[in-house]
Amino acid sequence: MSDTEPSARVGVDVGGTFTDVVAVRDGRVSVHKVASTPDAPERGVVDGLETAAADGLALSGVGTLAHGTTVATNAVLERDWADTALLTTGGFRDVLEIGRQDRPELYDLHASKPAPVVPRDQRYGVAGRLDERGEELDPLDEEAVRGLAGELDVDSVAVALLFAFENDSHERRVREALRAGGYEGAISLSSETLPEIREYERTLATTLNAALRPVMAGYLGRLDDQVREAGVGAPLRVMASNGGLLDAESARTVPVRTLLSGPAAGVQGAAHVAARHGHADALTMDMGGTSCDVSLVRDGEPLVTTDVTIDEYPVATPMVDVHTVGAGGGSIASVDTGGALSVGPESAGAEPGPVCYGRGGDRPTVTDAAFALGRIDPGAFLGDIGGADDAARVAIERDLADPLDMSVREAAGGVVSVAEAETARALRVVSVEQGHDPRALALVAFGGAGPLLASAVAAELSVPEVVVPRAAGVLSALGLLVSDLVSDESVSRVRPWEEVDAAALTGTFADLESRATGRLADVPPERRRFERALDLRYRGQTYDLTVPLDGGDGPDERTLDADSLAAVAERFHALHERRYGHASPDEPLELVTVRLRARGVVDPPDLAPPRTEGAVADAVREERPVVFDGRSRDVRVYDRSRLPTGGHFAGPAVVEGSESTLVVRPPDRVRVADDGSLVVEVGVDD
Amino acid sequence: MTEGADRERTGGGEGRSGSDGIDPVTLEVARNACAAVAEEMNATLVRTAYSPNVTERRDCSCAVFDAAGDLVAQAENIPVHLGAMPFSVAAALDAFPGDELAPGDAVLLNDPFRGGAHLPDLTLVTPVFAEGADAGDEPLAFVANRAHHADIGGSRAGGVAADSTEIYQEGLRIPPVKLYERGEPNAGVFDTVLANVRTPDERRGDLRAQVAANETGVDRYRELHARYGDDLPAITAAVQDYAERRTRTEIRNLPDGEYGFADVLDDDGRGTEDVRIAVSVTVAGDAITVDFDGTAPQTRGPVNAVFAVTASATYYAVRCVTDPDVPPNAGAYRPVDIHAPTGTVVNPEPPAAVVGGNLETSQRVTDVVLGALAECAPERAAAAGQGTMNNVTFGGTDTRDGPGGAGGDGQQWAFYETGGGGAGAHAAGDGTDGVHVHMSNTLNTPVEVLETAYPLRVRRYALRPDSGGAGEHRGGLGLRRDIEVRDGTAFSLLADRHHHGPYGLAGGDPGESGAAFLTPVGADDPVRLPPKTTRDLDPGDLVSIRSPGGGGYGDPSERARAAIERDLRLGKLSIEAAKDRYGFDSE
Repeated sequence: MSDTEPSARVGVDVGGTFTDVVAVRDGRVSVHKVASTPDAPERGVVDGLETAAADGLALSGVGTLAHGTTVATNAVLERDWADTALLTTGGFRDVLEIGRQDRPELYDLHASKPAPVVPRDQRYGVAGRLDERGEELDPLDEEAVRGLAGELDVDSVAVALLFAFENDSHERRVREALRAGGYEGAISLSSETLPEIREYERTLATTLNAALRPVMAGYLGRLDDQVREAGVGAPLRVMASNGGLLDAESARTVPVRTLLSGPAAGVQGAAHVAARHGHADALTMDMGGTSCDVSLVRDGEPLVTTDVTIDEYPVATPMVDVHTVGAGGGSIASVDTGGALSVGPESAGAEPGPVCYGRGGDRPTVTDAAFALGRIDPGAFLGDIGGADDAARVAIERDLADPLDMSVREAAGGVVSVAEAETARALRVVSVEQGHDPRALALVAFGGAGPLLASAVAAELSVPEVVVPRAAGVLSALGLLVSDLVSDESVSRVRPWEEVDAAALTGTFADLESRATGRLADVPPERRRFERALDLRYRGQTYDLTVPLDGGDGPDERTLDADSLAAVAERFHALHERRYGHASPDEPLELVTVRLRARGVVDPPDLAPPRTEGAVADAVREERPVVFDGRSRDVRVYDRSRLPTGGHFAGPAVVEGSESTLVVRPPDRVRVADDGSLVVEVGVDD
Repeated sequence: MTEGADRERTGGGEGRSGSDGIDPVTLEVARNACAAVAEEMNATLVRTAYSPNVTERRDCSCAVFDAAGDLVAQAENIPVHLGAMPFSVAAALDAFPGDELAPGDAVLLNDPFRGGAHLPDLTLVTPVFAEGADAGDEPLAFVANRAHHADIGGSRAGGVAADSTEIYQEGLRIPPVKLYERGEPNAGVFDTVLANVRTPDERRGDLRAQVAANETGVDRYRELHARYGDDLPAITAAVQDYAERRTRTEIRNLPDGEYGFADVLDDDGRGTEDVRIAVSVTVAGDAITVDFDGTAPQTRGPVNAVFAVTASATYYAVRCVTDPDVPPNAGAYRPVDIHAPTGTVVNPEPPAAVVGGNLETSQRVTDVVLGALAECAPERAAAAGQGTMNNVTFGGTDTRDGPGGAGGDGQQWAFYETGGGGAGAHAAGDGTDGVHVHMSNTLNTPVEVLETAYPLRVRRYALRPDSGGAGEHRGGLGLRRDIEVRDGTAFSLLADRHHHGPYGLAGGDPGESGAAFLTPVGADDPVRLPPKTTRDLDPGDLVSIRSPGGGGYGDPSERARAAIERDLRLGKLSIEAAKDRYGFDSE
């Protein structure tokens, strides 16, 4: 890019409490943090941009504006979405409500399922039926749809017909009939939202999309206006659940793809940091006050799954595979009726928070236990806590130590051990249970409570290295800057493999490519990449494997032939062997879904974070007694902001930063990396 | 009970020795670790198995046992596996006592009369020895897993022979045998099993996954042993004692007394109607005794539930009215004594047919135990749910032009599924519409998947309006699924609650009964099918399976007008039923 073009890149991540802005200009990184404005998140975004502008960022010079948002997620959590109707195949309007007929809790006779996105009286059956190959069995009753259009009193309509992924003509004709009948609101077709087999999952995704469209369109419209008014001319991009950015128009029309926007940005940032430290494979751990999100990064990319549940709705669009457990700094410790020391899932949250914050909390939390062990000093980041230190010890004594006949120190150590065990178990779910050996992974730990437990958790799992990035909010905003534009397109074509025709498949890929190219309109052609894959399985099985096709993008590689199909089959058997431990090369295969990922490649920004000069010894804030393994000893407490780049020191130690405290166990060693991350070489206890 | 042969399950005394000195932190950390062993076994099993039954419907479970064969931790995906595997481990230890097990051995079994549940459930038990142990050493522990296999031979593809009268018709019966000896597969056992099933490749794949799951369990348990050393037995004992203490605390909160309840199965499919299941539940202090005296004799048709199934259903019911977060291990079951007279439908003698015992009778056992417990724990109880699993099997030869998705070209096929229905209403709200209740929780087969894979056409899949029992809180709605066959097809139905709707509670009405209809090709009117049906269907025939609604809770006259109006608006209640059942005045 020439000097005259807008060249600054800006990432804005809106979290529950803070809106973080990261700007990169000529390799220089600047970071800004403002309060979020949940009632109108766009205001926080503009506040953040103006703060950056006051600090010298020319908003007219912004060339990229990438945004992580929880607007769609919050709309789902609060059911604060548009009134929506569903048009579906006659005889099947209850599919959305029946779901997969399972109940959410096995042993709770009072548990209930989440209400269907569209209530029964707004779900309409339409005569017309396709078979499993998309051939028409019964003709579509367009007249009835036209008649219905006038009666609809909703802001958005979802259309999801059986086998629409094989043949979208009925759905398109329903849309035309609705328009002809005078309906003017938004219309989402299942064949455009998630054209994959399994009617419940496809219908659910389509109704969620429909319910979110007016919400997202309103938000992005307001945001766009205000950002333009502030002087930013760059196109807006929105982080999608799959860890790629979407253009604003796509975010408006397929908002269901942004449900995991926030966590995806964080994991993208963590993957980027891991890669900078030479780790293509890593675990990420984002522990806040009430919960801990963990995920796995393989070959530099967060693992993506179509098996994510958002507030009990199984949303089958591709999302980063984030596993959440109810263990955080605010998790409350208690003695249960069986006499065990348990931690969480109940949490003191941000309000009233841990006892030691002095804001009215009176039940002991993980944070209070860390405090009682000398590991954190709430006064250091909260200022005057007015005698809350004593209160925390009293709460631990009253609720834990006395009933268990232990000392306060033993009880506090126990709380931390239990929290570590729960977190380690969550990390095992995303690593060991998926067949990945933690000894070959690094752990990227962030969030307010992540660095507090990370080293012990890593030791428990035999993870050799922990990377603690500079700051969590920055990590998400940074994740926005390092991500490509990505559009995942798919269509199910369930066929016996021997029946799959190479020319037809080439055509299917071409269709997907043209669909995806529409979402990459502002990306120059030489920056577009297309990754093709097929979901295959052994015939008769119900789970499939995504098998990538050969890489090339040239016109030759795009044309498939019998040889390329044979190569795919061979790769399937090998992948099956690796993943499941067995393969059956003589068994017949079946094609399920055709996938194409379109990428608008973004060069990662050239980052030159400020170096901190000085000596490690000068960063020592104090020495204070800290308990490790039941023994108290005087331990150095470092001020993170003063630790020099390249410096190193050994445990035991505590590093106090603005957002979190890193606990360094006695056998650990720590290095301050060039990017400001702390790298912990995890030692083994004697 | 007086007869010595009657099956009893008593947990023994409180607070067994050996768990002293385990601190509460180690207890909590070790409890997590033991549960993680079972869960990682489960992840391996689900990930590496071959058949949809295991990978998708997750009809399987994994567990860890101590050296005495007592349950330490379990990962169960559906409740019918709850607490049933200890019977399998006991049978394996009975067959191979003392020094007859060596490192690398694995014991396979499915015999319902020797530790199994019904024949499709194959259980694999593997001893865990310390690293470097040899024959003659005692196992440290056992790991076991159970998976429902899609076929186990017998008279019907799919393993659910609704018309069987003896277990011999239900398939291959496997007593405890060594599938692996010192790490080597026992070819004779493998060959025998595979020669007796319709889909040997799939069975081999699933068995291999079961072996892999136990290998995961052995490795992980050895890691625990490396960490805790000789303290491990005391720790696992502490984990069991912990569950026992929590369960006893919960039971102590229930008022003492003797609570009776009885209900019936529609029939056994072989002419015996109204098969009675009676129970007397005695709560005394911190213990519960459950006695099935008064239950009908075992039947000719296949609705006999072996004792392990009856025990499992009973544990499930107790778990529902106590704290469901108590770890499901031997300690949790110690306070529960179960007596089931021999020769009854809840503890039959061979060669009784048993396949429906696991599927249907288990549901009625939970209904009666929960019905009795409702009297002493009304706030946690619920009216009866649909009380059946609506087992449906279609099978035949796929003659569709050209190969279909999974069939075609003259291939043999069989399709088995279970269906949800209404859940019971309760003190806090309406019953859930269209879900699996109690002992099952497996997923449905998507219409698009079903039609792609089999020559079947689904014509309707819907809630059944008016099927929920009336009450202050309404019972959940049953489901209706209409399936047209495109080819000549064998059909079987194994269902219940077609004659007697699920009971209401606290003045609530029973839920609507289930029903099944056949509309022969070309005919205008449907004919009713009995709840246990086995017959052939012609191309174009349509069967309609309608599952029961849940029972209502509380006096219907107490139902809020707004709730009635909402049900009317949503079409879940007709105006006629609103007037008739609730006295609703539409003015």
